[in-house]
Amino acid sequence: MRWGVVRTVLAKELKETLRDRRTLFMMIVIPTLLYPALMVGVEQLTLFGQRRLSEQPAAVAVAGGDPALVAFLRRDSTLHLLPPDRATVRAVRAHRAEAAVVFSPAPADTGGTRRVRVLYDESDDRSQRAHGIVRGKLEAWKDTLLARRLADAGLPSGFATPLAVADSSVATAEETGAYALGRFLPVLLILMTLLGAFYPAIDLAAGEKERGTLETLLTAPVPAREIVTGKFAAVALIGIAAAAANLLSMLLTFQSGVFKFAKAADIKFTLPWSTALLVLVGLVPLAVLFSALFLGIAVRSQSFKEAQNALTPVQLASTLPILVITLPGIDFNAALAAVPVVGIAMMFRALMSGGAPLIPSLVAFGSTVLYAALALHFAAAAFGREDVLFGGGAGAARQGGWRERMAAWRTGPRRVPLAAESLAFVAAIALLYFHAGAALQARLGERGLLASEWGLLFLPVLLLVTAGPFDARRTLALRRPTARGLAAALVIALAGIPLGWAIGWAQLQFLHVPKELFGALEKLVTATDLPRFLWLLLLVALTPAVCEEAVFRGVLFQGLAREERMWRTVAVSALVFGAFHLSGETAIRFLPTAWIGVLMGIVVWRTRSVFGSMLMHFVNNGFAVVVVSRPEVRRLVMSATGEPNWWLVALAPLALAAGVWLLPRREPLTPVRADMVPVDADADTVRPNRPSPELPGEGD
Amino acid sequence: MIELEHLTKSYGDLVAVADLSLRVAEGEVYALLGANGAGKTTALRCLATLLRPTSGSARIAGHDAVREPLEVRRRLGFLAASMGLYQRLSARELLRYFANLNGLQGAAAEARIDEMVDAFDLGEFSERLCGKLSTGQRQRVSIARAVVHDPPALVLDEPTLGLDVLSSEAIFRFVESARARGRAVIFSTHQMSEVELLADRVGVIAGGRLAAEGTVEEIVAAAGEQNLARAFLRIVREAA
Repeated sequence: MRWGVVRTVLAKELKETLRDRRTLFMMIVIPTLLYPALMVGVEQLTLFGQRRLSEQPAAVAVAGGDPALVAFLRRDSTLHLLPPDRATVRAVRAHRAEAAVVFSPAPADTGGTRRVRVLYDESDDRSQRAHGIVRGKLEAWKDTLLARRLADAGLPSGFATPLAVADSSVATAEETGAYALGRFLPVLLILMTLLGAFYPAIDLAAGEKERGTLETLLTAPVPAREIVTGKFAAVALIGIAAAAANLLSMLLTFQSGVFKFAKAADIKFTLPWSTALLVLVGLVPLAVLFSALFLGIAVRSQSFKEAQNALTPVQLASTLPILVITLPGIDFNAALAAVPVVGIAMMFRALMSGGAPLIPSLVAFGSTVLYAALALHFAAAAFGREDVLFGGGAGAARQGGWRERMAAWRTGPRRVPLAAESLAFVAAIALLYFHAGAALQARLGERGLLASEWGLLFLPVLLLVTAGPFDARRTLALRRPTARGLAAALVIALAGIPLGWAIGWAQLQFLHVPKELFGALEKLVTATDLPRFLWLLLLVALTPAVCEEAVFRGVLFQGLAREERMWRTVAVSALVFGAFHLSGETAIRFLPTAWIGVLMGIVVWRTRSVFGSMLMHFVNNGFAVVVVSRPEVRRLVMSATGEPNWWLVALAPLALAAGVWLLPRREPLTPVRADMVPVDADADTVRPNRPSPELPGEGD
Repeated sequence: MIELEHLTKSYGDLVAVADLSLRVAEGEVYALLGANGAGKTTALRCLATLLRPTSGSARIAGHDAVREPLEVRRRLGFLAASMGLYQRLSARELLRYFANLNGLQGAAAEARIDEMVDAFDLGEFSERLCGKLSTGQRQRVSIARAVVHDPPALVLDEPTLGLDVLSSEAIFRFVESARARGRAVIFSTHQMSEVELLADRVGVIAGGRLAAEGTVEEIVAAAGEQNLARAFLRIVREAA
């Protein structure tokens, strides 16, 4: 990386961006005016509205009341009494009365209770206010009546009030203000940071492409990674500057003490400089995350408008979850801290509310840095890819309506699905599985589970490879396994199992898992006799080993593997595999499943055969049945509290290394011929020097 | 200096350029003549390292566009049909940016920029933002940008597209001066007059393939026609 070039690109991008009125508006004008305008405006409007309401007496109808009460109400200047015939639901609904008081007939005895209904419209401000006033007056009248009764009975006035409850908050005015601030300011701040990076990212990527300047830029003797680093740095700096401007504006607004409303409610809004500084530190990785994510998406769009369309859902998906911080009862724990954007929003809430716990804060900061790095990699991967830079590719080359395109798709040369096709397929069957599968399992129990696996996972895979233009053998990696490959898969599976348990156990220290869920899972895989044991092996070991492997290490993995990027293929397939095992009750199965998914991915990558991962899946699930069903085995591998045997966990990495060492090397799909040259120095793909009939469909 | 050897570029089933081979020597101007969609831009983009050939090779001064893209770009001045100017940079700032990216810094960069400003007569508008320039002025800035690092090979994709006669004349002068200075120039066009005026040799491209190659006279004679326009039409029809 030549930092001089990065600086050159950065300086140019900043100069151009600062000459763009749209960006300046978003960066400087909006933040500096927004907070004072918003806060003071809202306060003034609220005060104005209240004043208008209070200037006019509430129009209330009373039916069946004592003349003394009616006289009492009539004397009150905040009420305007209407004729009794308006004390009906219809009149209140038609706004002919703001509220109505309807008395039931007086009780026969003097000490009885008389029922009173107050009719009002909860969806109407005026009616709500009238309701409040009338309730206050009726309460006062009730106290008067009670006092009279007590006096008539010769009882002391405190007789009917054995407890006099008075609320007194121990929070200071500053603390109350901080509590309120922490619930809405982070949302605003994150939103403005996001908007600060939004337009520059589009302009520097899709905008540059649309104007044709990216084509020129990429003919300069500069590697794409230096250009993308310079551009990313510019967007990130602008995002951070926008965040800082917002924060400063917030600080000045709240320090100015302009809020009359707050003073009246005995609330003091303050944002100490030290808190602001910590928030700013947290905003840096967040701005980096947004910048890289937006840049990566924008560069994949062909125009400014297309980028806006593509980024709008991302913007929504990034901001809506942070509303969780406005909800009561949500604690800032390590698990929540690791959720993208939400974690950092929770950290801001905790900081603004007076103190953030250390561990969750570190998790929030560290995970955001990690997500930012991943987003940066995502952005960098797009620059330099011709299909991304010029659109084009197979998709652009094909013409015609959707029928023609579908027909051309189906009748095309037999091939492995594209990554996008694989992901779309898995998304579709995951939806099917979660809805239809859940219904089947609820209705048929274990037989429903069996039917879901074969009918909703395996059958769609069969349909895909037979009805689509796909080579079933390559799409499902149906390569005959070698004995060495299978042995290595077995060793890796056995080594991976204790490590998976350790991951699960570590998660339990942070995640709450309902006991009923554990009980249900344990019941499902407990075998009490041999027929049940064999049935369970079929249901939870053999069936997923075939059906789920056909989906995840077959269609999905092979589609992702087309680009010959091992770690990306392994990681994405494992994450999707883990996500597939999430349930509504808990996320506990995600990481252990993704972990075994990583191991199975490595085996399939190296052996080019799905049979190794089928064996691993069978062993992993079958072992769970054995452990749960056989107490003597269970005692060997874990304690009574579920803590894994740490000796096994300690030995597992050695066994894992041995298994990986035993794995055969990944063989090229077609033999490398003398007239083929490597396409990338770091990839083991080959490119023919002449058109090769032996690689049909590899270019699309 | 510029070489395409059995160059093929496909997008799935669509072959944009098929088995195209040509050479352009130092001091030679080569016109790539073809209808819209014939594959001219694709071939030039492969040369400019923007597209990766499906097979075959593109080389500049002996450097392969796939294996040594940076070496190729150092020796290449590329002018895209879209001009590719930054609207919010002045002409001088734009030249400085590309001079810096090409490794020219400080006084050396400024001296070269002054040279470009004089050579392309940019003085009166060199401080004006590119977005405010006329089409002809933008094209002059664009050419100055392409040659700010004094490359030995020039790849010009439809350099007179959308220009009036006066602006086109400036391009012609530039191409002629480049030839006089020993630069290898390849340009794409579908204007016969430009080809007749500038090209030492012509390659007629149709359906991604090189359908004919030679001097203007050779092509006209081989087609048995009286002028280049008729010869071009015959070649393209026969190739279809």
